[in-house]
Amino acid sequence: MGVEWGKIIDFNWTLVITLLQFAVLFGVLRWILWKPALKYLDKRRELIASRMTAAKVSEEQATELVARREGELVEAKRETAQILEEVRERAEKSLEEAKVRAREEADRILADARAQMEHERDRVLADLKAQYAEMVVLGTERVLSREVRIEDHRRLFDQLLEEIDENALDGVKESR
Amino acid sequence: MREELGKLIEHLGQKEIATWHIGGFAIQVDPKTIVMSGIAALIVVILALFLRRGLRQPVEDKPNRTQAALDFVMEQLDSQLLGNFSSKSFGARMFPFISTLFLFILASNWLSLLPGLEAPTADPNVTLGLALMVLVTVHVFLIGTKGLRGYKKEFFTPWWLSPITIMSEVIARPLSHGFRLFGFVFAEMVLVTIVMAKLEPFVVPIFLRVFFGIGFGLIQAFVFSILAVAYINLATEQH
Amino acid sequence: MLQEAQSAVGGISGADLIQVAKFLAAGLCMGIGSLGPGLGIGNAVAHALDGIARQPESRPALFSTMIIGCAFVETTAIYALLISIVLLFVV
Repeated sequence: MGVEWGKIIDFNWTLVITLLQFAVLFGVLRWILWKPALKYLDKRRELIASRMTAAKVSEEQATELVARREGELVEAKRETAQILEEVRERAEKSLEEAKVRAREEADRILADARAQMEHERDRVLADLKAQYAEMVVLGTERVLSREVRIEDHRRLFDQLLEEIDENALDGVKESR
Repeated sequence: MREELGKLIEHLGQKEIATWHIGGFAIQVDPKTIVMSGIAALIVVILALFLRRGLRQPVEDKPNRTQAALDFVMEQLDSQLLGNFSSKSFGARMFPFISTLFLFILASNWLSLLPGLEAPTADPNVTLGLALMVLVTVHVFLIGTKGLRGYKKEFFTPWWLSPITIMSEVIARPLSHGFRLFGFVFAEMVLVTIVMAKLEPFVVPIFLRVFFGIGFGLIQAFVFSILAVAYINLATEQH
Repeated sequence: MLQEAQSAVGGISGADLIQVAKFLAAGLCMGIGSLGPGLGIGNAVAHALDGIARQPESRPALFSTMIIGCAFVETTAIYALLISIVLLFVV
C-alpha cells in the first residue's frame, strides 16, 4: 500500500465508503433521534390539541358564567330601582295623607270650636231670657205691688217676652 | 507555517490517494476524506445525542433549554426543507433521510472552520456519491409511483428524444447536483488557501474563512438538501 | 537585442504554451460561463423580492422556490466551474 498525490477529480472506492458511512449515520440517527423525536412531537401535538380543546370549553363556560352574572346584576339593579321608586311613592303618599289628615283635623277642631261657641251663646241667651223674665216679674210685682198670677196674664207676658227677646237679641248681636 | 502553506500551494488541487493491491485489483481510497467524513458523522451523532436529552422529560412538563433547541431544529427542518413536499404525510416520511442529509453536509462544510481539518465535501467522491444516492432514491420513488411501465414510458415515449431525456435526467442531474456542492466547497478552499499563502495570513483569511465557511456552508447544504427534496417531490407527484 | 528576443522565444516550450492556454481557457470559461447565470439569478431574486415586498406573508414559500430556481439557473455556472477545475488541476 502506498500513499501518493493524485488529481482532485478522481473517482475511486471513497465514494462507496462514504456512502456506507452515510448509511450508518442515517441508521444511527434514525434510531437515536428522528424516531423518538417525531413520536415525542406527535405526542406533544396531541397533548396541546387536547389542552386547547379543554381551554376552549372552560373559556366558553367562563363566558357563559360572566353573561349570567351580568344578567343577574342588571336584574338586581332593576329591582333596586323599583324598590326605591316604590318607597318614594309610598313616602309621597303618606305625606299627602298626613297633610290631608292634618287639614281635616284642623277643620274638625275649628268646627268643634264653632259649635261650642254657638252652644255657649245659646246657653247665655237662655240665661238672659230667664233673668229677663224674673226681672220682668219682679218689676211688675213692684209696679203692681202684688203677686202676679202667671196663669192669668200668660198672653200678656208672652207678648212682652217676645218684645224683650227681640230687643235683647238685638243688643247681644250689636255687642258681638 | 510558511512551509506548510507552500506545500499546500504546491499540492493545490491534488489529494492523497492510498492504493492497495489485492490480487489483481488495485483498490484506491482517499484516507483523509474518509477520516474527515467520519469526523463529520461523529459530530452529527454527538449533536443528536445532545438533542436526545431533550426527550427525557415527560411531555406534560414545560420545555427546558435542550428541548427548546430540539424544537428549533425540528421546526426549522420541517418548515424550510420538508415543507416543500407537496404531500405533508410524505414529507413526514422523508423527514429522517432529508434531515440526516442536511445535517451531515452542514457538519462536513463547517468542518473546514476547525484548524487542521478539511471539509470532506471538497472531495468529489463524497458529493457525487450523495448525489447518486439521491438519484437512486428518486428513481425508486419514480418506479413506486408510476409502476415499471410508466417508468419506461417516462424515458422512452418519443424514442428519438430518449437520449436527451436520459442524458439530462440520469447523467447531468446528479453531475450538477454533486458538483455544485463540490465546486463551492473546493473553490472556497482554494481561495482561502491562496489568500493565506499570498497575503498576510491573519485578519483577512480568518474573515474569509468564517464568511465562506459559515454562510456558504449553510447555504450549500441547504441547496443540496432542497434540490434533493425537489427531485424526490417531482418523482412522487401524480400527473 | 534580436538574439535576446530569439533566445527568450526559443525558451518557451510546447508544455509552457499548453499551460498558458489552460489558464486562459479556465479564466475565460469561468468568466463567460458565469455571465448568464449571474443575470438569471439576479432576475429571479429581483422578482422574488418584488413578490415578497408585495406579499410579505408569502416569504417562506417564495424563498424556497427561489433557492430551487437559483440552483437550476446556476447549473451552467457549475459546469463552467467544473471545466475550469478540470482544466486547472486535472488535465
